[in-house]
Amino acid sequence: MSTIARATRAQPVHLVVIALIAIVFVIGFSASDRFATPLNMANVQDQMVALAIVALAQTIVILSGGIDLSYAGALSFLCVVFAAIAGDSAGALLLAMAAVVALGILIGMINGGITAYVGVHPLITTLGTSTILAGAALLITRQPSGSVPLFFEDFTYGRLGVMPFGMIFVIALYLLIGFMLWRTTFGTRIYAIGDNEAAAAVSGLPVRQTKVAIYALSGLLCAVAAMYMTGRFGVGDPRAGVGFDLRSITPVIVGGTLLAGGKGGVLGTALAVILLAFLANVLNFMNISSYYQWIAEGLIIIAAVSFFAGKGKS
Amino acid sequence: MAQPYLAARGLSKSFGPNEVLKGIEFEVHGHHSVALCGENGAGKSTLIKLLTGLYTPTGGHVEFEGREAGWSDPRQSLAAGIAVVHQEFSVLGALSIAENIYLGAEPRTKMGLIDRRALKRDAQALLDDLGISLNPDDLVETLSVADKQMVEIAKALRVEAKVLILDEPTAVLSQNETKHLFRIINDLRERGMGLVYVSHRLDEIFEICTDITVIKDGVVTSKGPTTDYTHDSVIAAMVGRELGDLFPHKAANPTAGEKVLEVENLLVAPHLPPASLDVHAGEIVGLAGLVGSGRTELALALFGAAPSTGNVSLMGEPMPHRDPAGCIEAGILMLTESRKDDGLFLNSSVARNFAATTPGFGVHHNAIPPGHEERRAAVLKDRRGVVVDHVGLPISALSGGNQQKVLIARLLENRPKLLILDEPTRGVDVGAKSEIYKTLRELADEGMALLVISSELIEIVGLCDRVHVMRDGELAKELVGDEITEEAIITVAAAETSTHHGVAA
Repeated sequence: MSTIARATRAQPVHLVVIALIAIVFVIGFSASDRFATPLNMANVQDQMVALAIVALAQTIVILSGGIDLSYAGALSFLCVVFAAIAGDSAGALLLAMAAVVALGILIGMINGGITAYVGVHPLITTLGTSTILAGAALLITRQPSGSVPLFFEDFTYGRLGVMPFGMIFVIALYLLIGFMLWRTTFGTRIYAIGDNEAAAAVSGLPVRQTKVAIYALSGLLCAVAAMYMTGRFGVGDPRAGVGFDLRSITPVIVGGTLLAGGKGGVLGTALAVILLAFLANVLNFMNISSYYQWIAEGLIIIAAVSFFAGKGKS
Repeated sequence: MAQPYLAARGLSKSFGPNEVLKGIEFEVHGHHSVALCGENGAGKSTLIKLLTGLYTPTGGHVEFEGREAGWSDPRQSLAAGIAVVHQEFSVLGALSIAENIYLGAEPRTKMGLIDRRALKRDAQALLDDLGISLNPDDLVETLSVADKQMVEIAKALRVEAKVLILDEPTAVLSQNETKHLFRIINDLRERGMGLVYVSHRLDEIFEICTDITVIKDGVVTSKGPTTDYTHDSVIAAMVGRELGDLFPHKAANPTAGEKVLEVENLLVAPHLPPASLDVHAGEIVGLAGLVGSGRTELALALFGAAPSTGNVSLMGEPMPHRDPAGCIEAGILMLTESRKDDGLFLNSSVARNFAATTPGFGVHHNAIPPGHEERRAAVLKDRRGVVVDHVGLPISALSGGNQQKVLIARLLENRPKLLILDEPTRGVDVGAKSEIYKTLRELADEGMALLVISSELIEIVGLCDRVHVMRDGELAKELVGDEITEEAIITVAAAETSTHHGVAA
């Protein structure tokens, strides 16, 4: 298997996920006439956008052998901050964007800095920052508050045919990050550190700086997701990020990226996000309680990991 | 002689009050390969770290082409042309061969992106130059251990190196793979490079090194051209004693004792021929062969840790269904190949490691009273010569030799009838080796049956009463008494085997 295959070409796991998507579609067609409508297709895509962005961030972190659990607190905090500043003018919106992006990167740098330079396991570091930020968000406001300019809200609802603007943006992001992993030294370092950190260090790679950059990128993508979510809600919800920490991991693992790092890529994550979104949609049409969706999601993640565990042994 | 490329001038290094190296004088000339010999802990690794700028000396200095180098970072020495092949592989399985070779120094396009075409072309050129037939696009995880080693060397040589330091490069290679490596080393030397070769294997040193430098306890005890040395004189310089003293006496009449283990038609894998052997009380039987010849697999099958079919009996009692727990109960115990992976509990104390397999030994209730493990372990020091200040220390604080002694002592707690030892002295210094050999012979003399697997021919020849040479999963030949020589074993073991794609036989 060559390098290019590593980054882009379809691998068995991708084919499995594609087959599952096909099955979900077949069930969807037979479950409801409304499934195949342009309206529903666009709605499902709307529901994917935020998760797709944080799952992309999580993919990068997991590829490097780390994990980022800060999204729950960070998203809530950044949503609240964004809505508090953005107000109703274009100028305020730009200021809010700059502030949220800067804060997202700062949160990531703190996560990466503590992980790389102090040596705290990223699970602990990011769980800590997540808890702090979740508290901070609720200190700022107990109720959803603030606002965004109407044109920005409209923009997050905008569509090109059946494709929401948000989805086009997500596709561009995935292509960009995929290209970064394939063609930049930063991308190679992410795989190298995830595969064997000690070997990467002996090879003269700046392991610590790279880790800080990885978490900073993760924080930046988290800020992007926060701006989108706030635009959709039209208000800053201090509980907006709840659940996104663990939900961001599911598509990464189902998409075939190794939890231990070093192997995988963004294509698998993208396919898994699509699978999970349509699965939820079809279960809705079948009038199955969302609690069953949780059960289904849990079964899928265990099945995915079992699949790789079995392959690893052979 | 011309000016050396790299030299240590009165080099000393202390860690706190502990002086590890004292006034080392060491030279590497172009067109020469210097063997750096010494027991584990003699200071070889420290010297290499000083030479490459990973450590800064506390006395003396490193000289590069006649000038004081003053390196404070390995990247500086690398830039000057000092390349190192590390003992622990630094290649990454998830990256391609080309990416590994140029990791951290990837060719870039004008845009700053990785130039994948140039990356592949450069890597291919480097591999071709070294006579390594590998595809630079292949992922390293798909390679054999030998090929990974070749990638490691190519990686070290991606810069125009004047000096190449190889730290125990053959520890994991078979004989044929080692030969290919030697051809590369000789080729590099003839081109004018200076090489430093660190190895425990004396045969190899005499085969490829032009000079020898011996370090003992942080001091250079002997140095000169290889032609001035013999095996025995190198060992003498390393440990202060002769090779003959390393091994205890052999059994006078090895097969006189009763048959402890009897194996008939044991099938480890369906495509392999059945194996039959026996081990008597009071003898040490060796399993020799190349890495991958099936020695460990056979041992694991005997111990019930791998599936097999065939007739195995212990003291005349058939053991149709074997598993490790049952084997331990019956009296077959095994020392596994890698003590760090499947021997020790690295985060636990010496005492707990010692008592781990028989925790309640000597206790009448299920609860183990506090201090029980420590009391039991304390006798270990007297009995097996384990040097440890306090049995409550973590086992990871012990030297390799002492760790191995703890493991052997632990096995003996179960009163084995048959003891299987897979590489019993791997990563152990010469002094501890000698003590382990002595212990094993004492156990044999007490009536135990021992089956020893070893990749070190000296060990097989010096220790074993009978030897089975394995080849491609088959017990190819049995050697007894005076027939056991390094030449006889190699002739059988290396006949028509290697089929690695990167390393030609």
